[in-house]
Amino acid sequence: MPPGFRAMSVPVSDQLIAVLPRLRRFARGLTGSAADADDLVQAACERALTRAHQFQEGTRFDSWMFRIVQTIWIDQLRSRDTRREEVEEQGMHVGTDEPVRRIEARLALQEVRIALRELPPEQRTALLLVTVDGLSYKEAAEVAEVPVGTIMSRLARARIALQAKLAAGGGLRRSASDAKAE
Amino acid sequence: MQKPSDERLVAYLDGELAESERAEIALWLERDEALRERAAQLTESAALLRSALDEVLREPVPERLIAAARGDTTGTVTDLAAARATRTARRFGDRRWWAGMAAAASIFGIMVGSGIGYFVGNDSPSPPAAAAWLDSATVYHNLYVNADADDHLGFDVAAGQKLPQNFRLPNLKPWGLDFQGVRYLIIEGRPAAQLFYTTDNKTLGPLTVVVAQTSKPDVAPAWEKHGDVNVFYWRHRGHAYALVGTADFGYLWNIHNDIAYQLDAI
Repeated sequence: MPPGFRAMSVPVSDQLIAVLPRLRRFARGLTGSAADADDLVQAACERALTRAHQFQEGTRFDSWMFRIVQTIWIDQLRSRDTRREEVEEQGMHVGTDEPVRRIEARLALQEVRIALRELPPEQRTALLLVTVDGLSYKEAAEVAEVPVGTIMSRLARARIALQAKLAAGGGLRRSASDAKAE
Repeated sequence: MQKPSDERLVAYLDGELAESERAEIALWLERDEALRERAAQLTESAALLRSALDEVLREPVPERLIAAARGDTTGTVTDLAAARATRTARRFGDRRWWAGMAAAASIFGIMVGSGIGYFVGNDSPSPPAAAAWLDSATVYHNLYVNADADDHLGFDVAAGQKLPQNFRLPNLKPWGLDFQGVRYLIIEGRPAAQLFYTTDNKTLGPLTVVVAQTSKPDVAPAWEKHGDVNVFYWRHRGHAYALVGTADFGYLWNIHNDIAYQLDAI
C-alpha cells in the first residue's frame, strides 16, 4: 500500500522550488510575457523568503505563493499606467512546410493568450487560479482575499468573456483537439 | 428552478454546486439544447486555455529562479554561468543527492543549455533499473489506457469513493490531471497501487502513478522509454514509485517533484 505518513516540515526553499513551474504558469497568464512572468516569480520568491515566518504550517504553501505573486503583480499594475499594458509581442514563426492543421492549432492557442490578456486583472486571476490551476472556489477566494461569491462572479464573467472572444475571433472554430495537436 | 444563469452553469461545470442543485441543472441540460451548446463551448474554451498555458510546465526552470528560491540573491547571469562551468555533475547514487530538492534542482539547473534539456540525463550511468517491475508497470498502464467498456477493467476504488484511512493520494489537479481511481495490483510478487489520472490534454496524459513496497535500496530518479511511453521512476524508504505516460520527461520530472513533496517521497 502507498505510504500514509504525513509530510514532514519542509524548508521553504524546497517548497518554493517544487512549486516554481506552477508559479511561472500563473505569472505567465497574469503578465502575458515570459520575461515579466519570471521577474514576477523571482520577486515573489525573494518576498517569500523574507516573510517565511508568516507562512502557517499546515496551510497550503501554493496558495500562499499565489497570493504573493498576485499582490506583487497588482502593485506593479497600480504603479504604472495600466490603460495600455505593455505586452511582449511574441511573433509566431510559421514554417513554410508546417502542416496547415498545426498552424491553425497554434493560432488558436495564440488567440487564447491574447483573449486572456484582454480580461480585467481580477477576472484573469480568478480564471488562472480555478480553471488553469484547479483551485476550488474557496481556495481561490482565500488567495484573492475576497468572498467565494465574488470569485464565482468574476470567474463566470471571465469564462463567458473568454468564450465570446474566441468565438468572435474564430478560435473555437478550430477544435480543442486541433489545438492540443500543437 | 429557473433556467441556470451563466454563474450557476460555470459553477456546475467546475463541480462546485451541491448535489441537489447539480441534479436540477443536469435536468435542464438534458432538455435544453441551447444550454448544452453553451456548456460545451465553455468547456472547450477552458480546455483551450489550459492547453495554451500548459507548455510553461514543460519549460526548464531558469537558474535565476532556482537561485532566488534558495535565497541566492547575489548571483548575476555572469556569476551563475561561471558557477555552472566549474561545478561537476553528481553521480546517481550519491547520498548527497537526497539533501533536499533544492540541491537536486540546482544540479538540473546547471545543465541548462547542455542540449539535453535541464536534466543530468544520459551522461551519468543509470542506476540498475528493476526492468521487470517497470515493464509490468508499463504493461498495466497500456492495458488500462487501451481498454474499452467491454473489457470491464474497473477501479478497486473509483474517484469519489472512500480511500483507506492511511492512503495519501497525490493531488495532481494543478497539473491538469484528474484522479480517476485506484487499482490494486501484484507486480513481481508484491502489492502495488496504480493511481490513474486523466487530462483533456492528450500530450500530458493519461498518467499512471504506481507505488509499491520494496526491500531494495533507495535509488535516485531516472527515466526510460518503454515503447511509446515514458517511465520516470525512483525508490525511497521502502517504496518504489513509477510515473508512466506519454508526457515528456520535463513534465514527468515536475510531477515527480510534486508527488515527492506531497508524500515526502524523497
